[in-house]
Amino acid sequence: MEREWKRARRLGPKQRRSYMEFLYILPFILLVAAMSYFPLYGWRYAFHDYEPPFPITPENFVGLKWFNYIISKPARVRDVLRVLRNTFAMSGISLLFSWFPMIFAVFLNEIKCRPYRKFVQTATTLPNFISWVLVFSIAFNVFSSTGAVNTVLMDLGLIQEPIAFLKSSEHVWFRMWLWLTWKNAGWAAIMYLAAISGIDEQMIEAAKVDGATRMQIIWRITIPSILPTFFVIVMLNIASFLNNGMEQYYVFQNNFNKEYIEVLDLYVYNIAHQGTGNYPLSTAISMLKSIVSIGLLAGANGLSKLIRGESFI
Amino acid sequence: MKRFLSVLLTLTLLLGMVTISAMAEGEAPITITVYDAAANYHGIQKGWFAKVVKDRFNIELDIIAPQVAGQEIYATRAEEGDLGDLIIVDKSEFPNLVQAGLVREIPEITESANLMKFKAQIDHYNKELTGEEGKYYGIPSEMTDTSPSSLTDDVVPDSPQIRWDLYKAIGTPEIKSLDDFVDVLAQIHEVHQTTDAGDPCYAVTLWADWDNNDDMSGPANVTHITTWYGEKMKRSALLQADGETFLKVYDRNGAYYKAARFLNKLNQKGLVDPDSGSQDWTSVMNKWINGQADLLWYNWSTGFTNNNKDADGVPLKSKGQTYFFVPITDSKYYAESDAYYGTNRMFGVGSKVEGEKYDILMKFLDWYASPEGMTFQHVGIEGLNYTVNEDGTFSVLHDDALSANLPVPDEYVGEDGVVGYSDGNNAINQWIGASICVNELTGERFPMKFWASYKAKEKEEDLTKTEWQEHFGAENAVDYMLKNGMLEPSPNVGYAAPKDEGEIKSLRPEINGKLCEYTWKAIFAKDDAEFEALWDEMIEVLDGFDYDKLYENDVAAYTVEVNMKKEALGK
Repeated sequence: MEREWKRARRLGPKQRRSYMEFLYILPFILLVAAMSYFPLYGWRYAFHDYEPPFPITPENFVGLKWFNYIISKPARVRDVLRVLRNTFAMSGISLLFSWFPMIFAVFLNEIKCRPYRKFVQTATTLPNFISWVLVFSIAFNVFSSTGAVNTVLMDLGLIQEPIAFLKSSEHVWFRMWLWLTWKNAGWAAIMYLAAISGIDEQMIEAAKVDGATRMQIIWRITIPSILPTFFVIVMLNIASFLNNGMEQYYVFQNNFNKEYIEVLDLYVYNIAHQGTGNYPLSTAISMLKSIVSIGLLAGANGLSKLIRGESFI
Repeated sequence: MKRFLSVLLTLTLLLGMVTISAMAEGEAPITITVYDAAANYHGIQKGWFAKVVKDRFNIELDIIAPQVAGQEIYATRAEEGDLGDLIIVDKSEFPNLVQAGLVREIPEITESANLMKFKAQIDHYNKELTGEEGKYYGIPSEMTDTSPSSLTDDVVPDSPQIRWDLYKAIGTPEIKSLDDFVDVLAQIHEVHQTTDAGDPCYAVTLWADWDNNDDMSGPANVTHITTWYGEKMKRSALLQADGETFLKVYDRNGAYYKAARFLNKLNQKGLVDPDSGSQDWTSVMNKWINGQADLLWYNWSTGFTNNNKDADGVPLKSKGQTYFFVPITDSKYYAESDAYYGTNRMFGVGSKVEGEKYDILMKFLDWYASPEGMTFQHVGIEGLNYTVNEDGTFSVLHDDALSANLPVPDEYVGEDGVVGYSDGNNAINQWIGASICVNELTGERFPMKFWASYKAKEKEEDLTKTEWQEHFGAENAVDYMLKNGMLEPSPNVGYAAPKDEGEIKSLRPEINGKLCEYTWKAIFAKDDAEFEALWDEMIEVLDGFDYDKLYENDVAAYTVEVNMKKEALGK
């Protein structure tokens, strides 16, 4: 270390500064190396017949066996495609409606009564901090056969038999999106609220002087100003297109809606983590996932370059 | 001022350290790490059981529970080469641990008087494991002191149990088949549509979170009913009542189809709780306790219903409002005789344990199988759970000590100050000696239903049982089954099929997943045609996933057991 410093002193002032500046980012490089690159070492599990308590040895190297396993049977390929369809459908619906938190934030911003605005904001942000397990128990209490909704409908005489809301597989993608939105919309709006507060007041006042209506201000000033934020968030969503998590679908899944609710992460859990766990197969699937994600990100980046002349990477 | 403060602080700190080390001197408890596949609690053992073991051995138990901490902990600890000091794992896993050098030999076991009461069983297992005489690695769990062919319990694991007063209310009709049983349950539903509190009742309320458990593929609610017809799921293969032929799970001649069909018929009549598809076990348990299900089949499920009291504090037993076995005359029950050779877990000692720690651990294991140790495990604490009669036998004092988490007597409260009986209960949750063993302290078996004092009380207070005995002319369910040729216990050979390896490991969850999905959909089919269509689709899907391969693998694995059983029967 000391020797390096001595050498650094011998360098010219400009070089010395770049040395110093490199040191500034060194901790972050180390962090990324440790947290993002070192785990890739674990990919070796995908190429071995690993079976705890026995360690990985050159003898149990199996090459691409687990990758071949995934495509070895037409039924399994169909199953993987079904899971991908569910993943793309549910991520797609979220993506399609990703303007929703933005519009929500814009309208929230228009509420002039401050206490009421704060109340709405708090009430919509709060569900974000509830775990999915609790969300499901709320759902069960509200929508089960003896839950609040069925009880009210039956008391009103609108239905004779309780409706099995949670069991049915109808509109399950859309219903999952509703739950997700109920949980996340308030939280997602925070980013947009921050962006809105950054809009130059003078612009809005000038528009008012020129006689712009409220809707015109929203349409001509607010939304265009927060559009870059919107695109960044869409971009991030695309990067995690395949990672729609498993908690939500895990708690809501049952044998009746499984066909439509099983997303990639849940599928990996269901076939590779049940029982004592099949580490090689789950590693192989997660590797495939990383590759598809990189492809999607590159695609979205290219699209952005084409449309807006700007890229993120 | 500042200097004074800092000197003061340093002095206090030093003083504190000196006191702590002085306190620890001579009496620091030794921590025994317990890797425990049976535990539902992760952490240091608390409360009265911690006090009991500390007083006797000066040890504290640090429990590693993969069921709580996640299965990954197994791989991580195995990679480190040290699973724990005391290791409790599934029987199918144990040979791997021996092979990987994670479990040590325990030759000193022959000097342990209490463990040697189970010498025949311990020898049997270790000889099979090592192929040598006198080499010891493992101790089986829950061994009995009876024999491989006796059936001590008074009820089989799975049989139909309905409420006696409701069965009486519809005139105790004879039930000749499952179809009759559907009608009987429909009639019962007619007279019992809601509980007294107005909650809806159903013939059955089902749950999916135990599916594919206990080495049986398919919904637990279906696989347990197959045993009413003597057929038993052995992973993905259905062992027939003859005890040697296997059928594919979806075969329409098998009891799996029959059981699913039975539940579907109930559903077609609106007798299945509509929440069955989406509720979890806890919700079912609350409905059982609340009396909302007319049919129960697990032998332990009556534990949730038969000791309850009504709103006025009158025991339901005394009014005949409790659940009891009702015979279906064409059935033939599958039950294994006493688990003489033990159940499906093994005790072992970690390979890193040596010296003093090893000696203490061996003493602890011996005590764990001793009459005193087993009384703590299977009965509880004197003065809380039971009292000792003049003749040395026990009488029940508080049978709700566990469920009501009653405070333990003062002398059982340790340094941690935990007073609840349930809070401080033995978190190892696995025993060396089964509860069905005879307690040498009393000469009676450990469960209270075998105590003379309890039986005398039962005769006076349990209307359900006395009326049932009179009506069916038998002492209890097993007695009735044996008298009527409905039960031929299968000898218990203590077999554990090997762990899945390679491709089978991925095939199984796939097949199990599809099997459950389609079986559940079939149970909830609107009519017979839809049921059959779903069944056909299921056969096609399972075959598409190479069910044959899994089936053949499982048949091969369990043919070993079939042969062992034949040998035990002297065939």
